[in-house]
Amino acid sequence: MKTDDLIHSLAGDLAPVAPGAVARRIALGLAGGALGATAIMLAWLGVRPDLAQAVSTPMFWMKFGYAALTGLALAAVLARLARPAVRTGGLVLVAAAPLALVAAMALYRMASAPPEAHHDLLMGHTSMLCPWRILVIGLPLLAGAVWAVRGLAPTRLLLAGLVAGGCAGGLGAAIYAFACDETAAPFLAVWYTLGMALVAGLGALLGSRLLRWR
Amino acid sequence: MDEIEPRLRSLMLAGLAGEAGPYRRLLDELSGLLRAYYRRRVPPGVDAEDLVQETLIAVHTRRATYDAGQPFTAWAYAIARYKLIDALRRGRAHLRAPAEAAEALFVTAGAEAAMASRDLERVMAELPPRTRDLIRDVKLEGLSTREAAQKHGMSESAVKVAVHRGLKALGGKYGGAGRDED
Repeated sequence: MKTDDLIHSLAGDLAPVAPGAVARRIALGLAGGALGATAIMLAWLGVRPDLAQAVSTPMFWMKFGYAALTGLALAAVLARLARPAVRTGGLVLVAAAPLALVAAMALYRMASAPPEAHHDLLMGHTSMLCPWRILVIGLPLLAGAVWAVRGLAPTRLLLAGLVAGGCAGGLGAAIYAFACDETAAPFLAVWYTLGMALVAGLGALLGSRLLRWR
Repeated sequence: MDEIEPRLRSLMLAGLAGEAGPYRRLLDELSGLLRAYYRRRVPPGVDAEDLVQETLIAVHTRRATYDAGQPFTAWAYAIARYKLIDALRRGRAHLRAPAEAAEALFVTAGAEAAMASRDLERVMAELPPRTRDLIRDVKLEGLSTREAAQKHGMSESAVKVAVHRGLKALGGKYGGAGRDED
């Protein structure tokens, strides 16, 4: 096909593009993923039995807030990485802010507790399960993020995969917070973060292959 | 570039609003820029015009990823660069090692390679003097077996045997089994 003919047919096929199309597509992918993640959480683990009381404790909201804010901030970074030649800039720092806050609270909690309490604060009773559960619950979110981004135009695939995974991990951990009954900031800082990092690592691993577009 | 950027950007914005005329002019002008960009960058075996067309299609199908706040040329060239890298990657994936590669590997594993890659004189010094001279004449100076035989007053077959044994001795000592030399 000659290039002039191609241009002619492309221009003939032109439809207006609504502003915000990128954000809408990413929101759609993540929303679909969140539905899948919630279904997995409910079918596999169920919500914690004392959820009604838990929602009135600050710790529940700290867990949920840390994970959800990290996931949403990384979704904003992802929306930039899905566009060619757009810098992520200071948004990465915004995404790291919840982690910095939780880490500071965890350190304070450890410092103000007697040494014999340190082990329980750090390990809780689900430390060996928590990161893997977040990984599994994050999978549909990762799939949704990958679907959304590969329909856009990422040019730094490894980084986009990493951020897609981090975003899925954050939102997945926020959903897991409804099933998890851990109550200590040090546990949150270590094991939730590790779970999100697992999904991020998986995203980076798959990113350059799954996000490639033609 | 100062002049191109605002013009292309306004054409793109009109295109995003659905105006086919300006959009067509944009793709026309962009195809010229892309042709110049790819002409000097395509790997051998890739048609620059194919990349121009692929990039125009990508610009079209992914035009929603253009943000009105960013330079249009930066956006378009980022897509062009992605397409170029993709083409290079695909080209590399299609490369096949030539069939003689394996044989070449065995040749270099022989005694000659050992001599070439180590200290030649030191290696040769370990041979009997006449064998050393024969190997030097036949394998390094390039004399034929007949010429070497005349030079040293030996029969041709004696030269062959001496060279063969010398190389074999070196091969056994410096890197793998000696290869039959004939």
